[in-house]
Amino acid sequence: MESFFIRYRNLLVLLVILLAQIIGLAVQVRHTGAGRNSLDPGDGAGVRLIRLWADAVVTPPEQAIHSTKLGVEYVWQNYIDLRHTQSENQELKRTIDRLRLEQAELLEDALQGQRLQALAAFQQKYIYKTVAAQAVGSSGSDQSRVFYLDKGSADGLQRDMAVITADGIVGKVRDVFPHSAQVLAINDQTSGAGVILATTRLRGILRGNAIGQPQIVGILADQRIQPGEKVLTAGGDLIFPRGLPVGVVDKTVRDPNPDKDGFIDVIVKPAAHLDQLDEVLVITSTEPRFSEEQQQDLATSEAVKGAEAAAIAEQKKASAIMAERLPGLIDPNLPPEKQPLLETTNPDPVIRPPQALHPDRFTPGGAAPPKAAETPTAEPQSSRESSPESSPAPPAAPKRNPQP
Amino acid sequence: MNTFSGNLRRDLEVRRYPILVYAMTPLAALVLQAWLPRILGGFAWFDLPLVVTVYFALVQRIPIQGTLMGAGMGLFEDALTSHAIGVNGIAKTVVGFLASSIGTRIDVENHTIRLALTFLLSLLSSATYVFVYRGLLGINQQWTWFVDIFKAVGSTLIAAALFPALDRLQIRE
Repeated sequence: MESFFIRYRNLLVLLVILLAQIIGLAVQVRHTGAGRNSLDPGDGAGVRLIRLWADAVVTPPEQAIHSTKLGVEYVWQNYIDLRHTQSENQELKRTIDRLRLEQAELLEDALQGQRLQALAAFQQKYIYKTVAAQAVGSSGSDQSRVFYLDKGSADGLQRDMAVITADGIVGKVRDVFPHSAQVLAINDQTSGAGVILATTRLRGILRGNAIGQPQIVGILADQRIQPGEKVLTAGGDLIFPRGLPVGVVDKTVRDPNPDKDGFIDVIVKPAAHLDQLDEVLVITSTEPRFSEEQQQDLATSEAVKGAEAAAIAEQKKASAIMAERLPGLIDPNLPPEKQPLLETTNPDPVIRPPQALHPDRFTPGGAAPPKAAETPTAEPQSSRESSPESSPAPPAAPKRNPQP
Repeated sequence: MNTFSGNLRRDLEVRRYPILVYAMTPLAALVLQAWLPRILGGFAWFDLPLVVTVYFALVQRIPIQGTLMGAGMGLFEDALTSHAIGVNGIAKTVVGFLASSIGTRIDVENHTIRLALTFLLSLLSSATYVFVYRGLLGINQQWTWFVDIFKAVGSTLIAAALFPALDRLQIRE
């Protein structure tokens, strides 16, 4: 028996290590309802610990390399590569003078715009608190499009925060460590962002394909989708605020899934340079950030709007009561196609008033009241349904023979 | 024939390196594998941890060491991704075991053979990765074969430069 273990120890070690890893994998995978498996989005404590160790080993050297690279670039750009600096400097000074004038005008416009938006109760979350961070490393695998930031939970970062650049969205924070964070890019196969096509208003889910291109998956084929159409965030995923640029449509391809005939994938050319990111912004707060004056204006606007809404409701109620009291143009006894309102043969229809219940000398036409008209069943339905207080009561006839 | 069998002394020869080389080379491979894609963008078609695993497994010729090293490198790579931990681990474990097992049977001094092995083991690693993901885990993951071909070629080119450099660091008696 001992010779068996000694003879096959290499193979046994291999099998034990493989088996341990397979069991570890089985713990991390969960069965979905559609009969497929998927990775558990939230790492278990053990898995997270391994990721934390790996991050602690790799991130400091990456940050050192990145800082060195930035330092070399700084020295090169500021002390060595100074050709034409003097002429550029003079040109920039002239540009600054011109821009200062333009800025003053734009500032006035911006202030006015902000005030108008506040007064109009523009509560869309469009002003954010962000944290700038440097992208220092990646997963190193083309199958996993994640990268690492040099800021972590100590800087206020949390899981599922949106990561953007000035050009467009980049990804979301997948995992946070004390001084670093892992970001899942929008071109990863496991990512998912709600997006909308700006022109056609088609909505879909954005995720990456095998070669790292972001694509909107599983939308119905539509010939209106053309290359160059802008793609924006839809805001429904509770991660990316609505209206942020994602990219432009590059092309459309048929969905590779044979079960989804008639569906297409829209390949998107991302607005942000996902492969060569340096500095990114992490949206740490999506609460509106108005000044005190704007907040006051906003509250005033809300109060005014509430009063206006109450007044409008009151007016509507009065209109409804009035409509009940006034004779209608819709006769409930006639079929819909013979309603007087739909009559088109006579271009100048004569609107006849309903017959009076008790005609007298003031009744239009002045005819003597026929006997039949005194029968309540001969009157139109609309008049019959009028309540006693809503229909004007006819003048009461004097009682000639009052009963005791 | 001499290429594939070698003499007994050479087959049993186990190279030794300074401890710093054992510690720093895998670490440098992991760090550079994580950092270089930030610079090269979508053209980072190489697998430095695999190259280092193949090298040490071939020259050490001890299957258990090769297996453990492959498992360690693979698990470390997995920990840096958003995927399950163990997929790369299984792939590199198999690569490390095979490389060290082959190292006991062929002449690993031949540079061409080492490069050919690196290319083939890189393809095997990719195939194992896809098999584990799709076959064992049953996760629908898109895959493009040409990227893995490029990656195998890139790893082989890096091995062509790295293997002679690491050969110079061995302790000679």
